[in-house]
Amino acid sequence: MQALLWAGRRVLTGLVTLFGIAVLVFMAARIVPGQTADVLLGPLATPEQRETLTEEMGLNEGLLTQFSIWIGNVLQGDFGDSIVSRQPVLEELALRLPVTATIALLALLMALLVGIPVGTVQALRASRKGGAVASRIVSGLGISVPDFVLGALVVLAFSTLPLGITIGNFTSVTDTFWRGVASSLLPAAVLAVFCAAATARTTRDAVLGVLVEPYIQAAVARGERPATIVRRHVLRNSSIPILTLTATLLAYLLGGAVIIEGLFNVPGIGSYFILAMDRRDYAVIQAGVMLAAVVFVLMSLLVELSSSLIDPRVSTIGKAS
Amino acid sequence: MTGTAASRATAAGGLRKLRTSDPVFFTALGMLTLLILASVAGRLIPGLNDGTSSVGGRFEAPSLAHPLGTDGLGRSLLARLLEGIGTTFMLSLAAVVCTAIIATALGIIAAYAGGWAREIVMRIGDILYAFPAILLALLIAASLGPGGTAALASIVLVTVPLMTRMVGAAAAQVVQRDFVTNARISGVAAPLIMVRHVLVNVAGTVIVQATYALSVAILVEGGLSFLGYGVQLPASSLGLLASEGNVYMLTAPWILIASGSTMVIAILAVNLLGDCLRDRLEPRKAVDLT
Repeated sequence: MQALLWAGRRVLTGLVTLFGIAVLVFMAARIVPGQTADVLLGPLATPEQRETLTEEMGLNEGLLTQFSIWIGNVLQGDFGDSIVSRQPVLEELALRLPVTATIALLALLMALLVGIPVGTVQALRASRKGGAVASRIVSGLGISVPDFVLGALVVLAFSTLPLGITIGNFTSVTDTFWRGVASSLLPAAVLAVFCAAATARTTRDAVLGVLVEPYIQAAVARGERPATIVRRHVLRNSSIPILTLTATLLAYLLGGAVIIEGLFNVPGIGSYFILAMDRRDYAVIQAGVMLAAVVFVLMSLLVELSSSLIDPRVSTIGKAS
Repeated sequence: MTGTAASRATAAGGLRKLRTSDPVFFTALGMLTLLILASVAGRLIPGLNDGTSSVGGRFEAPSLAHPLGTDGLGRSLLARLLEGIGTTFMLSLAAVVCTAIIATALGIIAAYAGGWAREIVMRIGDILYAFPAILLALLIAASLGPGGTAALASIVLVTVPLMTRMVGAAAAQVVQRDFVTNARISGVAAPLIMVRHVLVNVAGTVIVQATYALSVAILVEGGLSFLGYGVQLPASSLGLLASEGNVYMLTAPWILIASGSTMVIAILAVNLLGDCLRDRLEPRKAVDLT
């Protein structure tokens, strides 16, 4: 019962967060300098044209009325039309989603496959002197290299050195699946570097936190083999922080897409977003930012609810978080 | 992440322990000092960055006259890099100071007042935390217009939620301790308790989190300027130079390599500094299994 109440409370706070995100995104587009009609019609428009457009877009209404109309449309999946292509924004984004999703999922997979083992080994060897400094610097380097610097350097390397891969001719997974995956590998690898290092650090911290628990000492005292202890006690009990991190990583990957897709000439949501920034296509900017934030909130909610299934203690300390 | 109350109580002792040799700590501190000194020197050395310097040809490769080569207008890249380091650090430090003040105040007030105050602070934090850093920064740049102000505001909004959460969690533990209850019963004014008893005991967390916020700040300034919405020409910043380096990648690869590696060194040094401070100020013990 208590767990159910806790879950209900979490879903409710999730909804509050989503509402706040909507308010923020709406306000951000309203404090833009200059009248929307001027931006849309350009300097050559007549006052009558501006008047008509302002009327048409409902910009004469009060802010609250505008917001309620906007949020009503958004809830029905209508983010308005792109002012450039005149197509519904959601359709434009859906068209480009598979490309961005492939890169994000590949990067996440790479990060977890590298980060979790590395972090575990680092934690188990934490009390040793040798190699500690080197491993700190290497994992520190991973979270310190900005994705745009790494991406640009990779593009530079592959453009000037004969490394066998040409950057720029991207194939989408919706065209040819495996060629799509292959051409997503390089951008995904660039994004995966930060994620893998962050995963390794979180895993290391989580494992170190578990290692001080009395049940580990008890297991050691019982004479269990180290490999068994790591598998049965350590990794299972340190899985929640790693699970929580994946939500944060997903948010990072959606943001990173904005930079990496432009660098690697990938026609995904990220490069479309940058194009929208250049063209001041506010409906697209709003929808893109909103989409990323909503994905993060839903993912966090999913993670929290599944953490409470892995470890029921999570739902009993709800107040202390 | 949550250090024990006992470890925070010895924050001052932890800082003192830093003096005992830790090669990583001193390397990181050394690298940062060097970067900052270099950017100051860049402003002081005559002929380097005061407009009287000789202008070379466009995109000249590194040479004796221009150790890092020249940019698209024939200016010495070294001079622009030193100026860029200065801009990036000034902007990032200013933003982090704002973040530290806002986040510490909100975190302590939320923990001390509890109830609705805490709920509101945490929910606003949740909302801001939901946006990927660079998207939030771009959204702000789209509404405020590109430039240094947008970069500063973005950094503050990106770093405040996490720091508030961390300081709030640390303060929540301190607030429950006997000396705080004691002070409350004795009738000490709330603001005084928050400063004298709570702030003092979360100082370690504040220092550690502010250091990490600085590395995020350099990243956000870099990303925003790289995309063309942060610091604008003719000024210089590390992100702006990296952006130029990206455009002229094949003509003048030294611009990208010099600005990119400077940025990596700066962020790495700040992160390592944060790690060392965290290990000292919020220590944990572990058993050796292998």
